[in-house]
Amino acid sequence: MTTNAPAIVSLLICAVALSLPGQATAELKRLDDQALGDVSGQGGIYLSGDVSINELGGPIENSYFGGCDDTTRKCGARFAYRLKENGGWMVLDDIRGNFAFEGLTLRVRTIDSGFGGDGELFKRDVLELGLPNTVRFNDVRFKIAASSTARPTDPGFRQTDIFSVGMQGEVVMEGNLLVFPAGNP
Amino acid sequence: MKCVNFLANWSCVGVALVFPGQVMAEMQRLNDTDLAAIRGQGGITLEMEVEVTADRVSYFDDGNGIYLDDFRVGSATDPEGQAFHRVRVDISDDAALNLDYLIEDRRIEFGDVRLAGAPGLSMGGFFFDHSLKGYLRIRPGGALGGSGYTFDSAYTMTAGRLGYRTNGNEIFLDNMTLTMEALGVTLDVVGETLRLEAPRIVGSYDIGAIRYSGNPLNHGHSTDVTTGAALPSYGSISGAFDLTTLTELKAGGRSGEGLRIDHETTINSAHFIYRDDGNALSLRDISGHYRVSDLRLDVTDDWQGRPALGFTLGAMDGEVNIGALEMGDSGRSLGEVNLSFLLQAREFEGRHYTNSLYLQGGGHPDAGGQGLRLATEWSLALADLSYTEDGNRVIFSGLQSWGRGDITVNVTRDELRNGTRFYDGLRVGFDGVKAGYRINGLQVGDEDAPLQGGTELLLALGFYPAYEFEMDGHITLGAGGASGEGLTINSDIQIRNGRAALIASPYDDGSGEISQKGLWLSDLSYDGHIRDMTVDVTGEGLTFNTGESWSTLDVGNLRLGDKRSGQSFGRFVVQTYETGSGLTIVPGGSGEVCAGGVGVTASACAASGGIWQDRGDEGITVRMKQILAKAVDDSRKNAFTWETNREIDGSGQLVNGSGTRLVLNDIHTGDGGDFDGDGVDDNSFGVRTDVSVDVYQTRVVKKDDGPDSLGVSGLRGDEKIMDSAAVAGYRYESTPSSADLENRPLGFAVRAQSRFKELSINNVDLVHPVGGAQTVVYGVHMQNFDIKANLTATPIP
Repeated sequence: MTTNAPAIVSLLICAVALSLPGQATAELKRLDDQALGDVSGQGGIYLSGDVSINELGGPIENSYFGGCDDTTRKCGARFAYRLKENGGWMVLDDIRGNFAFEGLTLRVRTIDSGFGGDGELFKRDVLELGLPNTVRFNDVRFKIAASSTARPTDPGFRQTDIFSVGMQGEVVMEGNLLVFPAGNP
Repeated sequence: MKCVNFLANWSCVGVALVFPGQVMAEMQRLNDTDLAAIRGQGGITLEMEVEVTADRVSYFDDGNGIYLDDFRVGSATDPEGQAFHRVRVDISDDAALNLDYLIEDRRIEFGDVRLAGAPGLSMGGFFFDHSLKGYLRIRPGGALGGSGYTFDSAYTMTAGRLGYRTNGNEIFLDNMTLTMEALGVTLDVVGETLRLEAPRIVGSYDIGAIRYSGNPLNHGHSTDVTTGAALPSYGSISGAFDLTTLTELKAGGRSGEGLRIDHETTINSAHFIYRDDGNALSLRDISGHYRVSDLRLDVTDDWQGRPALGFTLGAMDGEVNIGALEMGDSGRSLGEVNLSFLLQAREFEGRHYTNSLYLQGGGHPDAGGQGLRLATEWSLALADLSYTEDGNRVIFSGLQSWGRGDITVNVTRDELRNGTRFYDGLRVGFDGVKAGYRINGLQVGDEDAPLQGGTELLLALGFYPAYEFEMDGHITLGAGGASGEGLTINSDIQIRNGRAALIASPYDDGSGEISQKGLWLSDLSYDGHIRDMTVDVTGEGLTFNTGESWSTLDVGNLRLGDKRSGQSFGRFVVQTYETGSGLTIVPGGSGEVCAGGVGVTASACAASGGIWQDRGDEGITVRMKQILAKAVDDSRKNAFTWETNREIDGSGQLVNGSGTRLVLNDIHTGDGGDFDGDGVDDNSFGVRTDVSVDVYQTRVVKKDDGPDSLGVSGLRGDEKIMDSAAVAGYRYESTPSSADLENRPLGFAVRAQSRFKELSINNVDLVHPVGGAQTVVYGVHMQNFDIKANLTATPIP
């Protein structure tokens, strides 16, 4: 493929510290409460809630998909794509699970101070997603697979499951995700 | 100047009458036998068969005239006939004049309305059929002394029909019944002001049908004279009211001659019911008040110098409360709605807006000679719209709206006329309407609650917290729904220079108006078309089913921060093409919910770490079905384009189409195969999304140690508990008691569930302005998705 990869818009993800098994460094420093008080354009929302994917199964009932109480069928969702014309399909299969959080915040914020002096130079608006302290994962799972057809019900369907992913328990997520445009629009 | 008064219930000022027709009043002499039979009676009885016609009734104001052409009063059923009038006049011993009247089969009609300054444009014709029976008692002495009058009036109107007709097509309220009683109405002259005060007006009304006719041979008939079939109906309406009013009339328009009206109404109680094939949409327990200040009526010119009948308003304020909004077989209520408003001139976006309406003839220029054109300007300075369900309230606070432009009204029929496609129904056109609205934020609980976001959760319903635009197009409301009564909508809307907020901070955070920061769809244009959308009230709720719709939303810049100057993420183009999509509004919200966990029982929910909630009977659920059709051509398809690196022209403007594009092409839904054997994959399930809205308590925890933005201290993980005794109205608790848990903060709770069997993208391309398109993904298939999101929005602590 000879397409020039567009240097479209860079989304800078910063001030994120994930207390996951690994760590992500924070490029910008956390604002203290005094600095927060100086932020204009506040408002925004504090979200509590949960998101579930195929908690009890999906809307398809056929030889492949079924309810989660039917062990002979898959009740998760399926995502298939292919990068080559007339080629095989990469698949995320049997996607399901639930994650819950308290304290995901969303607002537009002006940064013109703080961050060890970087904020004054930065001086622009950002979309801030304040990460919740704790995210609870309930039986989140999916499989990575390679398939001969997009649909598991298509003729000649064959699939190789490469590996499975499962997540259970709590993940501590601190900090903010700041999104802002850069480059030539 | 001449005046005409029919039965003291119709009057005019400054009217010149020409009667080429005839006035017939058949008074019959009583014979001696009849006279002898009268005992102890007083007064006289007048019986008249009346037909009045006039080629033109004219009203002049500062030399500007308005003409009511082809005026007629006569029989409603016989175009050549007369209306029966009987009036018994009696003077009682308290010097009161008593009029008992009976009017049968009367039509009052204007064939056309024109302005002297624009004789080539006509507004169309109006007709009013009715029979009346009632009384009017006039006593000396008003509210302020002996020089005025006091009226007692009551009547019943039956066989009513009120219609509007343009170019041979008409729409009318059919089979109207109205009963009204107004006792102790006083009329006084105070200085130069005529003061009319009605301490109590009670009544009820019933409109059997709202009918449409596209047959020029029909005029005021319930059935088509050609086919004999009942004319299609939009539905029926009934209601009742109990009002107290005060009206003051004064001579003098906004300039020179004219009329000034000041008015106050208190709605003591009222209800309104719309029925579609027997299914009711009810607004119950209505109460409120409103005040109209300095409304002026002039025959004048509008801001473009076009002759018009001008209504200019000084101010109007009020508050209306709807205690219950019910629909569906179950009669369940969506909740309670309250609107307070102030219409007053003010400046928006650097331009001064007033509240005025200039009525002109013409309508859409291609629709024929008759129609209405309303040059309109409005300024909603401030409004609060609140919604209460199960006792919990959310306020859409600080709603403001402004706009200016022409709105045209025609009754049209399905035809291609003068190059423009028209549809059956009442066509409301928009001609250069420049308008906008914004809200300051949500408040949950009461007016003292802090402003917060939350409208972001309603974006799936197409609600933007702020939007300004220039609009052309039309919405044509046809009679008849998916079956029987209801509405059928055809629409073509074009929007340009739009700016819509996906996320918006307050425009006034308490210290004065500021630039509203947000995530903006800027430099927006939109071209949308809807065909055969039926609207029906059903046993389930309010249902919209669309035959076909397609649109292109072209966002020139997705800006962050300021809507005009904020930095841009680039250009986004969203094309949609749907067939057979639908939407139903159902009373009732989420019901029982496991918030923050999984499980269909309280114990299973708690075991997963969730909180089991019963969000009550009230609330709103919107059920959407979107059938994304496969691409038909470049204009009718579902696609998403992101463009950046655009070139800049000589005037510094970005040139759309000159940059690099990422294109998700031909996005469509499917059922996952061809099950009916027609050789084409089935597509009937679509994307089905249910969005339920409630106001309910939620768990809010502190994210950091120390004081929050309002100075209330707590430790990370402490729970926010509402406490009126606390200075800020809340406190933090590390181990809240069971009593504390009853006082968790209220939030704007939205539960959404989205399901689809299959959602496909035909190809994903990267398009270089020189190198052309390269496909990077040869197809995406997503199957068997059922996604639920349970989100409650509260202010950021």
